[in-house]
Amino acid sequence: MKRIDAVIRPERLDQVKALLSGIEILGATAAEVRGFGRQRGHTEMYRGTEYSVDFLPKILLTIVAADERVDKIVDAIIQGGRTGKLGDGKIFVTPVDEVIRIRTGERGPAAL
Amino acid sequence: MRQPIARHTLRRSLMPGVAMILLLAGMFAVGSTLCFADDGPKPDPAGIATGDRTSVQDAAGNLLVPATPDPTSPDFAAQKKAYGEFQAQMAKEPIAAKLADSLGHVRISTNFSWTLLTGYLVLFMQAGFALLTCGLVRKKNAAHLMMLNFAAFVFALLAYYAVGYAFQFGAVAINAAPTNLGGTPTLNTFLLGHGSWGFLGGKGFFLSGPGYDAGSLCLTLFEFVFMETAGYIIVGAVCERITFGAFILCEFFIGGILYPVFGCWVWGGGWMSQLGTTMHLGHGYVDFAGSSVVHAVGGFCAMALAMILGPRLGKYGPDGKPRAFPAHNIVFVVTGTFILLFGWMGFNPGSTLGATDLRISVIAMNTNLAAVSGSATALLFWYLIFKKPDITMACNGMLAGLVAITAPCAFVSPNSAVLIGVLAGLLVCGGVLFNERILKVDDPCGAISVHGYCGWLGAVSVGIFADGAYGSGWNGVGATSYLGQAGQGVTGLLHGDFSQFECQLMGATLCAVWAFGATYGVFWVVNKVKSMRVSPEVELEGLDVPEFGIPAYPEDALVSFSHK
Repeated sequence: MKRIDAVIRPERLDQVKALLSGIEILGATAAEVRGFGRQRGHTEMYRGTEYSVDFLPKILLTIVAADERVDKIVDAIIQGGRTGKLGDGKIFVTPVDEVIRIRTGERGPAAL
Repeated sequence: MRQPIARHTLRRSLMPGVAMILLLAGMFAVGSTLCFADDGPKPDPAGIATGDRTSVQDAAGNLLVPATPDPTSPDFAAQKKAYGEFQAQMAKEPIAAKLADSLGHVRISTNFSWTLLTGYLVLFMQAGFALLTCGLVRKKNAAHLMMLNFAAFVFALLAYYAVGYAFQFGAVAINAAPTNLGGTPTLNTFLLGHGSWGFLGGKGFFLSGPGYDAGSLCLTLFEFVFMETAGYIIVGAVCERITFGAFILCEFFIGGILYPVFGCWVWGGGWMSQLGTTMHLGHGYVDFAGSSVVHAVGGFCAMALAMILGPRLGKYGPDGKPRAFPAHNIVFVVTGTFILLFGWMGFNPGSTLGATDLRISVIAMNTNLAAVSGSATALLFWYLIFKKPDITMACNGMLAGLVAITAPCAFVSPNSAVLIGVLAGLLVCGGVLFNERILKVDDPCGAISVHGYCGWLGAVSVGIFADGAYGSGWNGVGATSYLGQAGQGVTGLLHGDFSQFECQLMGATLCAVWAFGATYGVFWVVNKVKSMRVSPEVELEGLDVPEFGIPAYPEDALVSFSHK
């Protein structure tokens, strides 16, 4: 099993969600987060004085899936989230040791 | 552990202020009762003797009942003849005389309703100021801002009730009787000065005795909401760093002394209003609804306080360059500004103190025109210079236009109102940049530029743009004719009266000097005795929790802005 953490643009969430629904994922968790990448935020102007916005708003989308489904999910996120401009975000894939369904106590891939 | 300490500190810093004010108030209460054991006209608390045939006027303000003949007047014979004829006519037509009494009462009632209702509109500006200033600061100080606005209302009114109103209007019946409200004849004594050189009113302390009168209290309601406006103005400049105790002291000072003194000079029949008769300067110093009396007083008081407090931590970097602390809620800022615009429909038209003065339509329209031209100017200025129209500056521009039209609103044409709005829009932009970059006075909400600089501009623009169409006989000048014209009112530079301009320029500047100087003097001392500023730790954390024990938005954890 793998955990997929995708940091994406908030305005691309609907598109990503639609594509993920199309490949019948079993569940996902989204959180509003703020962060910066290589550009280190950007500057804006307020009442004639510049200020820097260090942490830009992003969505952190977390999905845990069986190994063989990871590529499909990653492709869907890329397809839905990409604009080609700076700030499209990143996807992290990490191994997952165990999954437990709290309601029944089932363990492993069956609990996904 | 910290909260009990904060509360304790607060109590300790409040105690001397409250004790001092109570002591002063008590002294005045006793003093005024002793000095002016009542010999004057009887007050009318029930409102059943206010408004009779002597209040009946035609549209041009001519009285139905001729004035009682004055034996010292050169026109005594003519006056006596007119008065005698009227008395004879009245004896012949007793029903007409009774109807005239009813009509006079209805006229005063109409004007009471107008004055009270417009006063309620001005009262609602409190909500506008609270939203505007709260929206303009950082999240961590939002509760602090709401509490400052709230406390401003509460404490300034107490001071105004005790002594402020009496200082301002205690002698109004001498030179500036509000005839639309029945004339308030009981307010007839200067505490300092006399005749045309009055410096401080002396009747109506604690709104008792001569102040416990239906006509006088109608005036009190309308005037205290104006005083409150001056009181809120400072919030925008002192916020995010002042201690609550020091702020309350500021409000006592404004409501009890700073505002009423200048208000007496201009609106209470004091010496500045009489400069037309004493020094032949136009119609005396004219400020219709308070560009200077309310706004410049508040704005320059705010400037002195902001200078004493110093800039917020981190406002200026080690290189001396200013940094932006962006507004946290633009929705509040814009909503607040619109509430203020709405309240201004009471502020300016209400200042006629009567709906029987039909100039109210011109005043209302002029007020709106200056508001939109001020806003459009500031918005376009920012668009052109900084490439994005700054919403907070568009709002400041609207308020700048409103502040600047407040003094001239009754005396100028709609075209002049637009022009005054444009000038104010430019001045507020320049003022904000000048304060931030050159003077380095930290003014989080632009209160100094909006109310101070544009208030000064408004008072001066009476002397430039007044067209003479309104204000015949203003401050006792030119009742029969002025500049060789019958019915000529307050007239500015562009319409041929240079002396009015001189008077406005000097008066508006004196207003700035008084408000800045008196505030700086008093609070420089206060700040030496006990720092008016919160500790750096409290300031960095935000004042909400250390000063008041609760954040405005408890769910908020992430801070999204910082500075490199």
